[in-house]
Amino acid sequence: MTDENAGRFPDPHEFKVPSELEGWEEMYPSHYLFSKERGEWESEQFWYQDKIHAPEPMPPFDLIFQEAWQIALSQYTTRVFCIPPAQGIAQRMVGPYMYICAIAPPPDEIIGEKAQLFEKRVFYVFEHYNELWEKWLTKFKALGEEMKAVEVPKELPKFVPEDQVLPAPTGSYVSYDLIEAFDKLVNKMFKGWQYHFEMLNLTYLAYLMFGDVCRKLFPGISESAIGKMVAGAYVSMFRPEEELCQLSRLATSLSGVADILKGETTADQKISELEKSGDGKKWLEALEKAKDPWFYVSCGSGWFHHEGSWITELDIPFSYIKSYVERLEKGETIERSLDEVDKERDKTVAKYRELIQSDEDRDSFNNAYNTVRTIYKYAEDHLFWVEHWFHTIWFAKIRKFGDILVDNGMINESDDIFMFSRYEIPEILTEVVTGWALGVDIPVRGDYYKAKVDKRRKILKAASEWNPTPALGVPPEEVAEPFTIMLWGVTTDKVKEWLKGMGKTGGEDVSEIKGFASSAGVIEGPARVLKLLKEIMDLKDGEIMVCPTTNPSWAPVFTKIKAAVTDIGGLTSHAAIVCREYGVPSVTGTGVATSVIKTGDIIKVDGDTGVVTIVKKAG
Amino acid sequence: MDYILDFEYLDKSFLPLVGGKNASLGEMIKAGIHVPPGFAVTTDSYSSFITETGIENKLFDILSNTPPDDMESLNRASTEIQAIINNASLSDKIKSAISDGYSNLCEKCSVDIVPVAVRSSATAEDLPTASFAGQQDTYLWIEGEDNVIDNVRKCWASLFTARAIDYRNKNGFPHEKVLISVGIQKIVNSKTAGVMFTINPTDGDPSKVVIEGSWGLGETVVSGSVNPDKFVVDKVVMETSEKTISTKHIKCVYDPENGGVRDIDVEEDIQSKCCLEDLEIKELVKIAKEIENHYGCVMDIEWAIDKDYSFPESVFIVQARPETVWSQRKKRSLIGKKSGSQLLMEQAMKRIRIPE
Repeated sequence: MTDENAGRFPDPHEFKVPSELEGWEEMYPSHYLFSKERGEWESEQFWYQDKIHAPEPMPPFDLIFQEAWQIALSQYTTRVFCIPPAQGIAQRMVGPYMYICAIAPPPDEIIGEKAQLFEKRVFYVFEHYNELWEKWLTKFKALGEEMKAVEVPKELPKFVPEDQVLPAPTGSYVSYDLIEAFDKLVNKMFKGWQYHFEMLNLTYLAYLMFGDVCRKLFPGISESAIGKMVAGAYVSMFRPEEELCQLSRLATSLSGVADILKGETTADQKISELEKSGDGKKWLEALEKAKDPWFYVSCGSGWFHHEGSWITELDIPFSYIKSYVERLEKGETIERSLDEVDKERDKTVAKYRELIQSDEDRDSFNNAYNTVRTIYKYAEDHLFWVEHWFHTIWFAKIRKFGDILVDNGMINESDDIFMFSRYEIPEILTEVVTGWALGVDIPVRGDYYKAKVDKRRKILKAASEWNPTPALGVPPEEVAEPFTIMLWGVTTDKVKEWLKGMGKTGGEDVSEIKGFASSAGVIEGPARVLKLLKEIMDLKDGEIMVCPTTNPSWAPVFTKIKAAVTDIGGLTSHAAIVCREYGVPSVTGTGVATSVIKTGDIIKVDGDTGVVTIVKKAG
Repeated sequence: MDYILDFEYLDKSFLPLVGGKNASLGEMIKAGIHVPPGFAVTTDSYSSFITETGIENKLFDILSNTPPDDMESLNRASTEIQAIINNASLSDKIKSAISDGYSNLCEKCSVDIVPVAVRSSATAEDLPTASFAGQQDTYLWIEGEDNVIDNVRKCWASLFTARAIDYRNKNGFPHEKVLISVGIQKIVNSKTAGVMFTINPTDGDPSKVVIEGSWGLGETVVSGSVNPDKFVVDKVVMETSEKTISTKHIKCVYDPENGGVRDIDVEEDIQSKCCLEDLEIKELVKIAKEIENHYGCVMDIEWAIDKDYSFPESVFIVQARPETVWSQRKKRSLIGKKSGSQLLMEQAMKRIRIPE
């Protein structure tokens, strides 16, 4: 980008993607590409890179989640709960990176219509939240079980088994079952995401409302203080860690178990050891019970197939258990006292309430607080069930399809299936079952698909080295859509920062970066830059963790680190909440931390002002 | 008749006798706030002084013959009156009371000669609605009973600066009704000092304590002659949301050559160094909250960190008075009476403008 671009964002139709990414368009559905047919409208919107949900180059099949939320999130705002001036969030791909835009308000008459419907439809949810949550959880768990129950054929047999023909033919066979199974899984995924947003839009709206009330009464109040007042302690997202604590305690009460778990061996090796003793077997039983659902935790965000989960990467939860057992033996408490967290929160609310000077204002504050307090749990609760549990079930099922494609020579490795979009896979499956149906030695285009996988993996790798423009199009005059404000924090300052970067060629020496002051405290120390959870093993005590984002599955790490700095994540993100609870200073949402800071750099993290300074570069 | 009263003895009921500042110091000591020790020379001392010496009649004679809006006449009257006061001798009773007070203070502080601040505390001065602050004088780093007495007299005389006379004329405060007390307080050997408010004076946010501080004695901050370091701390979550380190060029310190204090340059290497440790900031905020709770209103507080003590004994509160600006504003509702649904509806209708 040359200087002539300083101060404005490129037009989406003019923006050029690096030549190494040539051919990227076919990885995604055509309606995800900027198009001539919608050109005028697209050029007028403001598209910014979605670093929260799509921080990495997008594997084609993983786009399904994004597709699902584009529809689900938007419809609750536009057609279901009708948040008056807000509309949906649109998505486009630019190379393998996803860009989103908050669509401008509808005409005034529509806003009026929506306002009436909003009033009618929305308050029921607030007034009946607890009941609706129970219903939601029941139906969502049922959906997850349905997905688990989808049977994926293990193979395309030489001849269908006898019991499918005698005494009477079943009528349809694996050639149909395979396609139907895939179809069912995709449908359930879309359904799950429709459920996901059932209460989320309203949760964010309530949060914004409460934040607004706080800022009117206390102009300088920090986002983290507001977050402290609404965050709940007993939420599903914290259960997995609790289960680890319980398993660790159990280990110390059984003979020999703790010693095995403290060893340097792999999880599998430890499991074999434990099977040899009665107490070991007892512990393994408890482990099995805990696994479903609480180990269905993604090692990352849950959005990408390659992140792995505690179920598939047992070494990770086992490494947490190892450190918990060690701490228990030293006499330390490992559990977070959730009662204390709740009490802290209530005290904080009471103290702010005391400072309010007029009675009317105090009443309104109470009303605002009560409105957000119950529903806010949904923000944390749903996350475990959808992005973690449900997605983990999904990935396991899809890999079974991957296995079949490997067995039938269409791809080399099971995970290669994720290099195809949800539209392409039925075609591949159809070609496979057709070949099976046609007979022996029927050629299928294995080489064709393997070559595609190869090319697409190369494109994704090249894309990971490319820093795309932060935004395209025309910055909006106003934003009404709650997620845009709250989750992505699109504010004037953000847009200005992006605009500043437009004329630069990059590569400048940065010694200070800014983010959200998510958890108070000032700490200086050596940085450890982690891009994947697996790298957690490298982390040494007392280091400052610098990572793209933290996830609930990273929670046990917080006892080791001195501070945390992230690329992504607002003040109300799980990352911020956990940092505050552990008393670990943190600065989140810097956007660039993992690119600017290197492992070994001495950095100063100021969780009070949101500034991270590189004090001394490594080496 | 009490010519002097130890601060420890005082509370707000003593205001007519010792003035707002000194009464306030007594209140704080009773509330357990760490205040440098001292005593007040009461208004009775002042009254006795001007009646017994016969000055009183002379003073009000001069004043009644001075046309109110004529600056030249006011200056002349002021000079004349101040000369009379500064040259009059104290009665033995008053002199020995002050002497005794001072030597007791030296003993309390375990030194032979304790340096003190001699501060006016007019009975009208610290009333919340009348911001007289700065109208009367303060004398810093005074040592020895003779100097103390001289400066007490100077404080008495400062009731009659041209500005003070003019202010009283303009605001209808009768000259005879304004009595003055003088506080004699051990001076803090300040490493750092400044002021703090239990409200953010910039936006009226009641959840913040705003601290301003600089090297040396707090006069540079109070008088605005230095750009202080600024800290904005949330009272509830104790987070420092703002920390501005300024380049602090001068500091007010003891002047060994001439006595008293003077402003000198700050060493270059500490000009841009933060003048307060995090622990000190937290302690100041804690104390500010205690003071605010005790008084039940927004407070304007002067503090100092004493080099001669270690933390937390080093943290002193030198003065505290009700804040005058924000407390004046009518307690209007910022939100008004709204239900949860109303607030939600309002939020739903919101469109955040992103300005140019």
